[in-house]
Amino acid sequence: MEQKNNQPVKYDLNFAREIYSLENGSYIKQCMQCGMCAISCATREIMDYSPRRLFNLIKLGKKDEVLEANTMWQCTSCCTCKARCPRGIPIIDVMHDLKKYAIQNGYSDDPRAAFYKAFWAEVASRGKVFEGGVTARYYLIRGLDELKKAFAMKDVGLNMLRHKRMPLLPPKKVKGLGNLKKIIRKAQELERKEAGR
Amino acid sequence: MEKKIAVYICTGCGIGDALDIDALSKVATGEYKVSICKTDGFLCGKDGVELIKKDIEGEGVNTIVIAGCSSRVNYDVFDFGPDKIVERTNLREQVAWCHPAGDEDTQMLAEDYLRMSLAKLKNVNLPEPYQVDDFSKAILVVGGGFTGLNAALESARAGYQTILVEKEAALGGYVGKMYKQVPLKAPFTELEENSIPALIKAVEEAGVKVYTSATIEKTAGAPGMFDVTINQNGSTVQERVGAIVLATGARPYDPGKLGHLGFGQYENVITQAMFEEMAAAGKLEAGKVAFIQCAGSRDKEHLPYCSAACCIESIKQALYVKENNPEANVYIYYKDIRSNGQYEHFYKKAQQEGVIFIKGDVTAITENDGTLTIEADDHTMGTKSEADEFDLVVLANGMVPAAAFGEMLDAAPAQDEAAAAADEPKVSVAPIIKSNMLNLEYRQGPELPSLKYGFPDSHYICFPYETRRTGIYAAGVVRAPMDMLSALEDATGAALKAIQCVEATARGQALHPRSGDMSYPEFNMTRCTQCKRCTEECPFGAINEDEKANPLPNPTRCRRCGTCMGACPERIISFKNYSVPMIGNMVKAIEVPEEIEEKPRILVFACENDAIPALDMAGINRLEYNPWVRIIPVRCLGSLNLIWINDAMARGFDGVLLMGCKHGDDYQCHFMKGSELAEYRLSKISETLNRLGLESERVRATTVNIMDYDKIPAMLDEFAKELEELGPNPMKDFQ
Repeated sequence: MEQKNNQPVKYDLNFAREIYSLENGSYIKQCMQCGMCAISCATREIMDYSPRRLFNLIKLGKKDEVLEANTMWQCTSCCTCKARCPRGIPIIDVMHDLKKYAIQNGYSDDPRAAFYKAFWAEVASRGKVFEGGVTARYYLIRGLDELKKAFAMKDVGLNMLRHKRMPLLPPKKVKGLGNLKKIIRKAQELERKEAGR
Repeated sequence: MEKKIAVYICTGCGIGDALDIDALSKVATGEYKVSICKTDGFLCGKDGVELIKKDIEGEGVNTIVIAGCSSRVNYDVFDFGPDKIVERTNLREQVAWCHPAGDEDTQMLAEDYLRMSLAKLKNVNLPEPYQVDDFSKAILVVGGGFTGLNAALESARAGYQTILVEKEAALGGYVGKMYKQVPLKAPFTELEENSIPALIKAVEEAGVKVYTSATIEKTAGAPGMFDVTINQNGSTVQERVGAIVLATGARPYDPGKLGHLGFGQYENVITQAMFEEMAAAGKLEAGKVAFIQCAGSRDKEHLPYCSAACCIESIKQALYVKENNPEANVYIYYKDIRSNGQYEHFYKKAQQEGVIFIKGDVTAITENDGTLTIEADDHTMGTKSEADEFDLVVLANGMVPAAAFGEMLDAAPAQDEAAAAADEPKVSVAPIIKSNMLNLEYRQGPELPSLKYGFPDSHYICFPYETRRTGIYAAGVVRAPMDMLSALEDATGAALKAIQCVEATARGQALHPRSGDMSYPEFNMTRCTQCKRCTEECPFGAINEDEKANPLPNPTRCRRCGTCMGACPERIISFKNYSVPMIGNMVKAIEVPEEIEEKPRILVFACENDAIPALDMAGINRLEYNPWVRIIPVRCLGSLNLIWINDAMARGFDGVLLMGCKHGDDYQCHFMKGSELAEYRLSKISETLNRLGLESERVRATTVNIMDYDKIPAMLDEFAKELEELGPNPMKDFQ
């Protein structure tokens, strides 16, 4: 991390405590800064901070640096770090928590944040994914400027339509969408319980 | 004992194919007039052993030469009881397996080895075990702290009378004053109640004789017969013990020297021991506490070593704070968290409890409005950091062994002068610090020699728990910095070593590494010139001195390395089965061909502990090496007497090579200084050799590790090549 104005950094435990109280947040405390996650990570090169550094920033209380970082968004959930972590930290789950926390706290500049939101809204309302729907929602969230990019992609879209890789009309909702919603509610309840540990 | 010699030549394992066995037999029957010489294809088999046993019964054979495999194997098969002498001639690993079969040189080598064995026997006698009058198997434990109490308990429970001496009025030591202790059992995550009260009770119940407020005024004697004078509150008691466990512990490093961390300047900067007292008194209200690791340790200005226990102790103390108030903010500033072994779980536990670990160096501690501010270089972030509002800062101030306090004993001045006069290599002398713990009546000094930083350790890998004084075993933090789990292990290990010592000494046997050896050095005092070399050079301080500088040997302190035998210029020291004339006869038994035959001869004195196994390994791996070498095993290169080199050069040997162990700081010599002494002695004779017209390059020393077996052929070939360049020994044809 770049040191600003040569001022010594201060440790702010409040932010750390907030992150530690997330569903898998308390595991971060176990990090011993060995760097196994960093050397195991396929996307480490394009991350702002490796998971190890991110966890250290959390400890220091660097809220902006942590939540503006692309680290969790670059994570592909490949599970290598989680499998290798000598301290047993479920790093991909921690990354999911951080993504959610970032969105909830207004740190959603990353395009993938918009995609996550679009995908989730689609699944929650239909129980299925409709590509057209996800795309439309994505561009709506990202703003009209992004539409230019969408036009640039139009040939891809047309080709997909032609090869029946993308339906033109939305599919039917799943049977018993009410039950699905119950399942989701139950899962969210469990998540809150986990976080209370 | 009238020797009735019989030679048995084994032809198995390829020996029969490589050698002309009939010619070899003739060496025994012809040259050495041995009446019984038999061959067998499988001597270590049932029939082979039966053959030998039949001769022992029928023919009265009592001296058996087994010409076959190395003495390092099958020693149990060829054990015919304590009243028989067994000599092993190594025809397998050192002849048949590393030299071409059917070759003339291979045959000559085998014949020479048989000659050497038979010549050796002239001077070999059955050792008689040394017996002590009024022998004691009691074990004295010095120091009544955690390690001492455990060592005393272990030895008492093993059935040995145990005496415990503690200088304080109460038992318990440093750990005794703790609020709680680090976990000693699985899952290694929970703070444990202080075990000392229960331990003291167990020690009392086990019948340990305890002296508190007592110090040791004098320790005289030797293993099996130490006479210890204990001073208890001014009155003295004498106790006779067989072995001693030294568990005098360590003291915290003087925090007065840690002014740069604010100690002495701010009253809320305290040490681990002070925090322990506060915790025990229930004063744990501090809401924000910092622990600073390596306060003094791993610091060239203070303690250059890691004190090993402070990380875990600080973690424990951090957990005191968290246990009292889970909302408290606890920081640990560290260089590296060294939570060895199972204590990794304890570290993880502290992290889970929310203790903040910061890797970095503390640069300044200041006080503002009654709270403390810590500035540090945060290494994981690569930035400076600052944390404030600490109520308390605890310094993990490391440990210094109790053995390190006291004046340094002056090294033998005579040796210093001699070494200073000439720019000669000097034998290093292990420093002895007069720490007033044992007050040994030893010629070489009153305390244990230290290895490094005042710790009286020996070489831990080769000699766990041993010191450089036989029968005295250091355990716990006086031996090396360690955590409680290691100290517990140390206590048990040292107690077992002490038991081993009294048991072996009772039988008249040597201790590690020559376990079971019954021989011991005998002095022909009529020829002693009081030169003091033996008393100064004995690596175990076994030999005392009277006022006239006559050596006073203590055979039970002896480890049978023969360093005294190598040192003695008058050659008056010998063992029943190892002596200067014995090796001399072996040298003389080797046939040295005349110059015209162009068969040079190289004599190798190889240390039994590492070089001989390495040479055997070379054979096992079928590595072929120079056929001119003749190998004589020695107990230690320290036992090398220069007369042998004289003999060899006079006999016409072209070169002499000494193969010993590595010396220096991380020495591997099993007798501490043997190989170093041999090289030192060698430097003394090079001048003489030059004067005789013999190049001093003909005699040289080298170090061989057991893993170096693959380098041996090259080593020997290279030496042979250099000797070839020097040309043959000019003394050769004067025979």
